[in-house]
Amino acid sequence: MRAIRAIAVNTLREALRDRVLYLFLGFAVLLLVSSKLFGMLTVGDEGKVIKDLGLFGVQFFSMLIAVLMSVLLISREVDSRTVYNILAKPVSRWQFLIGKYAGLLATVLVNLALMVALLVLVVLLYEGQLDARLLIAGAMTLMEMTVVAAFATLFAVLTRPMLGSVLTLAVFVIGHLTRDLWLLTGHLQGEGVRWLIGAAYYLLPNLERFNFKTEVVHSLPVPAAAVGWAVVYGLAYTGVILLLACVRFGHKDLA
Amino acid sequence: MRRALAVAAALITLLAVAVTAEVRLSSIQRADPLGKRLLYLPTAEMLGLGSLGNRGLAADLVYLWSIQYYSQFEPREQFLYLEKVFDLITDLDPLYFDAYRVGAMIMTIDTSASAAERREAVRRLYDKGLRNMPSSWELAEVAAWDALQQLRDPELAIHYAKIGAAIPGAPPRLRRVYGRWEEKAGQWTPEDSLAYWQAVLAEAVRKPDVILAKSHLYDAVARVDGRRLDPLLSAYRDRFGHCPDSWRQLVELGWLQRAPTDYVGNPYRIDREHCRLEPHKRIRWD
Amino acid sequence: MPEVYTSSSDGGAGVAEYELTVRDVHKTFDPGLLRRKIHALRGVTFEVERGEVFGFLGPNGAGKTTTIKAITGIIAVESGRIEIGGHAHAAPAAKRRLGFMSENPYFYNHLTGRELLRFYGELLGMDRDRIRRRSGEVLERVAMQDHADRPLRSLSKGMLQRMSLAQALLGSPQLLVLDEPMSGLDPLGRRDVRDIILAEKGRGTTVFFSSHVIPDVETICDRVAILIAGRVRAAGSVHELVARRAEMYEATFVGTDPERLRTPLVSTHVGGDASWVRVESDHRDELIRELATIDARLVSLTPVRSSLEDFLLGQFAIEEEP
Repeated sequence: MRAIRAIAVNTLREALRDRVLYLFLGFAVLLLVSSKLFGMLTVGDEGKVIKDLGLFGVQFFSMLIAVLMSVLLISREVDSRTVYNILAKPVSRWQFLIGKYAGLLATVLVNLALMVALLVLVVLLYEGQLDARLLIAGAMTLMEMTVVAAFATLFAVLTRPMLGSVLTLAVFVIGHLTRDLWLLTGHLQGEGVRWLIGAAYYLLPNLERFNFKTEVVHSLPVPAAAVGWAVVYGLAYTGVILLLACVRFGHKDLA
Repeated sequence: MRRALAVAAALITLLAVAVTAEVRLSSIQRADPLGKRLLYLPTAEMLGLGSLGNRGLAADLVYLWSIQYYSQFEPREQFLYLEKVFDLITDLDPLYFDAYRVGAMIMTIDTSASAAERREAVRRLYDKGLRNMPSSWELAEVAAWDALQQLRDPELAIHYAKIGAAIPGAPPRLRRVYGRWEEKAGQWTPEDSLAYWQAVLAEAVRKPDVILAKSHLYDAVARVDGRRLDPLLSAYRDRFGHCPDSWRQLVELGWLQRAPTDYVGNPYRIDREHCRLEPHKRIRWD
Repeated sequence: MPEVYTSSSDGGAGVAEYELTVRDVHKTFDPGLLRRKIHALRGVTFEVERGEVFGFLGPNGAGKTTTIKAITGIIAVESGRIEIGGHAHAAPAAKRRLGFMSENPYFYNHLTGRELLRFYGELLGMDRDRIRRRSGEVLERVAMQDHADRPLRSLSKGMLQRMSLAQALLGSPQLLVLDEPMSGLDPLGRRDVRDIILAEKGRGTTVFFSSHVIPDVETICDRVAILIAGRVRAAGSVHELVARRAEMYEATFVGTDPERLRTPLVSTHVGGDASWVRVESDHRDELIRELATIDARLVSLTPVRSSLEDFLLGQFAIEEEP
């Protein structure tokens, strides 16, 4: 555990000292601030638009960090051979990978926390009251990123950085469309095809399970069971992906 | 070997937990009351920008989604923002024929709206379509039939049929439909009908169109002749106490130069019961 | 069949304890579809006794670095056995005995030297106090105590080499594995590294290192192994390996050409008025007599000292023979 923590802290430190993170934060700040401008271009209550845009920014930029940082933090480690000195120490390969993943997730968390805090502040300034429910949406976005970061880690192990980033992005998009895949089964003929689509539905990540933006933005009740099972789902799915990544990394020649 | 088995067991367990959680989540009802999320669809400008030049694609995607959404027919709140959705689609792609067509069709079955509201919504959508596609007689035609059959509004049907019939390139059938509806509505004088059908016949090229135009022209001519000859028959009845047996009696009185003939040259009959002109043949309606 | 000498430094008086055992290790790299496989290691076998300094020699591409990567677990081997201190090399117990210095220093540029050592110390399972203490010690030993708080990206190559050595020494390893430790260093730096290696040997640390700098290997190694084309061609003490090479003499003379001589010569050179030749010791007297017979004047006659380099080149020549 100590090795995992040390690698995670080092990874987080590397990310924070990496100027790329500042760029993302800058973009995120710009988006959140400009949401007031966007509100004038749409039909509907401006306050809710700010929340919608803000939560979108939190999700989008967290996803970008998960996708791009995994390339920098994992692939770069192997390409620059800094991993050699680590694996010569009493650190197993799975500890190294989990440590890198934890560091990546910590990076996402830091960024996400900052953006959610800023969003809460902007909403407080606009609506005059603190909307703590934004934290729920933020927390579930973090849960979503837990899964996305796991995929980013898996692809960083399996393939080259550019392709890994593209695949992770694809997973993010597909993860938000799986519900439509499920609806599609109702329209299809043939038991075999329906079974296949159904299997694909369960195997692919359903990232919409972490989407509580509607409830948060429209002040609707958030079912505790939905949150609870979403957390279970996210952790279990993350476990599967990370396990696969560790198995692959365990046999990978790094030379 | 043991390690491989342990890894496999862990994988299967985690996957089972994930699937179980997903199944449980599917059963939990999540709130989307009153279709409120539809209110927060972005405007066409925003969506157009976000589509990075793929406005048509963005329109397609929203259209496809709307079809799925509205096909889950539960008459309640889905229709609340129906017009907004199809406004968005047609703003993104003003030439999207199906969007006007299908949107109006869904609007005609919107049970949450009153008949007047439905009419106005359909009219707004079709008017928008015809503004954006002024040369689309097809859109005018479907608008006309929707107005007649779905909304049961002959006046609106005639409005769209008139627009469609006037568009260059409109098929003869549309012109005939318009003419027939106007005649049925009684808005035309016999002279108006005569002039219209003469124009339709003049443009007819195909033999069936010529025959059908002539059929309508026959009726128009018969109406014009009826307006001229029916008063003579009534006057004869008033003078002699009965309707004349033939036109010859009117000729003998000097009221007519000769027995009147119809458009195709056959003599008119006299309907003695009602004492008015009776055309010889009536060609089928198209 | 390659000759392998497996002498022990205690003269074979008893069974030596081995800190590092590499037994019949094979490794093949598969570059991918339609490309030929690379058989990097073909049954590499050698042992390193506890407390000795062991040199690993071979030409470029022989498989030295591949062997070291196999020992440190960076790559997996298809077959064979590698043990460190009696433990399987991948086991944590083995890794705790190991200090590794790679050929090039691969470090996190965002860290300072001290932060790097703290990070590696945590990976070694050391507590904070011990990390702090040992960091100070190793930084002083590699003369980097004044540069430890600079970002690594600002250090020169020589400094990075020193840092690399420092992190290898951090955990007080029982086995130091150094891949080309003197590469890129100036003579002063090389001397410092040699001193550190000898100092570690004095502490009882086993040192295993690969090098191209043969004089350094000759000077400090107790035993060496020579790797050529993925196989250990020879192993033993330096003295044993060079002693086998036949002694020669080098004669310089004037008054005749070497081609006119009947004595078998190993090599010849003509320059200006004088010529020099090399003869094996068996033919030395024959050469002297012949030169006297033809009235050529022998200017000098000196024995040729065999070196490890000669031995290595000789082994390389054997490998290249069809």
